[in-house]
Amino acid sequence: MQLQGYEAIFFYALALVALIMGVMVITVRSPVHSALFLISTLIGIAGLFILLRAEFIAGVQILVYVGGVMVLFLFVIMLVNVQQETRETTQIFTRQYVAGYLIVGLLTLSFLYVVRESRNTQFLKPPQIEERAETTATPMTSLSKDTQEVGDKLYTRAALPFEIASVLLLVAIVGSVMLARGRKQEKIFE
Amino acid sequence: MRDKIPQSIGDAWVSNVIWPLIQIAIVFFVVLTIVAYLTLAERKISAWIQVRMGPMRVGPWGLLQPAADGLKLLIKEDIMPLKADRAVFTIAPIITAVAAIVVLTVLPYGADWATITNINIGLLFILAVSSVGVLGIILGGWASNSKYPLLGALRSSAQMVSYEVAMGLALMGALMFSKTLSMYSIVEAQAKDQMWYVFYQPLGFIIYFISALAETNRAPFDLPEAESELTGGFHTEYSGFRFSLYFIGEYTSMFVVSSIAVTLFLGGWHFPFIGLLKEQDQTLYVLASIVVFFAKVILLLWAFMWFRWTFPRYRYDQLMDVGWKWLIPATLANIVITGMLFIVGQELGFVQTTGDGRVEVVGVAGNAFMIGTAFLITIPATAILLSLINRRTRDFNLRAQRQLQLRRRQERIAAGAGD
Repeated sequence: MQLQGYEAIFFYALALVALIMGVMVITVRSPVHSALFLISTLIGIAGLFILLRAEFIAGVQILVYVGGVMVLFLFVIMLVNVQQETRETTQIFTRQYVAGYLIVGLLTLSFLYVVRESRNTQFLKPPQIEERAETTATPMTSLSKDTQEVGDKLYTRAALPFEIASVLLLVAIVGSVMLARGRKQEKIFE
Repeated sequence: MRDKIPQSIGDAWVSNVIWPLIQIAIVFFVVLTIVAYLTLAERKISAWIQVRMGPMRVGPWGLLQPAADGLKLLIKEDIMPLKADRAVFTIAPIITAVAAIVVLTVLPYGADWATITNINIGLLFILAVSSVGVLGIILGGWASNSKYPLLGALRSSAQMVSYEVAMGLALMGALMFSKTLSMYSIVEAQAKDQMWYVFYQPLGFIIYFISALAETNRAPFDLPEAESELTGGFHTEYSGFRFSLYFIGEYTSMFVVSSIAVTLFLGGWHFPFIGLLKEQDQTLYVLASIVVFFAKVILLLWAFMWFRWTFPRYRYDQLMDVGWKWLIPATLANIVITGMLFIVGQELGFVQTTGDGRVEVVGVAGNAFMIGTAFLITIPATAILLSLINRRTRDFNLRAQRQLQLRRRQERIAAGAGD
């Protein structure tokens, strides 16, 4: 897939932001700062989704991860009040070199495999230039059907995984309610 | 005008960069002026409700008060607590203000060239970006390194995360009629149906408005900044311009949630007979549409301020009860019942699928069916469902709760006497 013009600039800028912020997440000492850098990474990745013309996924990425999950992360960090890692003397890495190199090696191999495959099969077709010019020229009339397509696929072809995921989430909710509910509350309404 | 300018200069650069920049500058100026005057309106309306006069000193009827306030906040000393996290303390108010202002780009201010941009995921984009605004409040409360701001921040994050769910689900009912997330197309869909969706979705509108009050930290849901308990909430340690950034964010998000309500439920820039202008004069039509849009938004903003001085603040557990036990079940019931009504309407011929895949309510009979069922079936059914769910909660059915407690007490006494 060849990147041209503004797309290339945006892609490299966003990718660089996501990567640098990702490194910062694990190197800074304060957990709140880590959470902030993680938010930056997520927003960078949402930008990359927009470059892939997956606007719906980008919107959901920000809504769910930045607006929901990260807010709860911060909530927990504040309640737990992690002080130990912020001290200079504490080690923040466990120094498990062997496992680290192993995982990096495996990841590199899988990346190489995906890149080779995509070259061969061309499943990542570059979007047509003519199409794109048309959509930018008349933004009022033509909109991509991205959201509708996601909905169609989700409730027809991916219906079973979707249902399984929702049941999993329900189990998690019921479990957390059971953990949070004390004996006292159980008694009140008996 | 949007089409004319690029043709005369013959450059896509103008239509894609310069013209939007001009629009953004105008919108930025207009909305921030409205925001500034909202602070004055807040004080004036509160004064009128309490039979006072409000600010009267600066300018005629105090009309220059916002300028004086802004100047004061700019030149005030900027204090940062000694043990505050400097970086986070600095960026937190910026996050809130930016998240609120970015959303202004996708709102449909009026017909044709009055709307800056029309993106496929308009409504989702607004919800997503405004959900980022919560981060500014939490981080500001945490970075202050002080008790009251932290408590305020924790309260607000819990509140906003809960009401976001109800808000998103309340919009879903109207989206079932519009079939699109693009703000401009939602307005056009209402023009095609010749009906404001508030009549199809009265329940959705009410729930959306309540959740919007909670999302923007307005009374009766202003727990994050409950003055009597928290001295000021998450912004206690902020002063000067950083403080005003929080308020710009808050009032801008009030404007944004009102605009969403207007776009989705109140027909956007449509008003009966405004279409007649279109044949006569295009420019006049667009200007009229802008006026209609802003008039509707200001009406809703006025309701925001009215509510603030009408309802007492909720207690924290009541706030969570209202969100999770009332609003969210009500929105879910609304979605299910609306979906069922669509199918029933299709069977009876009131709803038809048009060529381009849009589902349309047909004619006067169809509209009567949809509106009638919304008021006569959806609302009573949801009310019955809610009272079934909440039969045993603490703040509902108080008499039964009291009877239960009395009975348990008598049982305890009887048991004690038996020993």
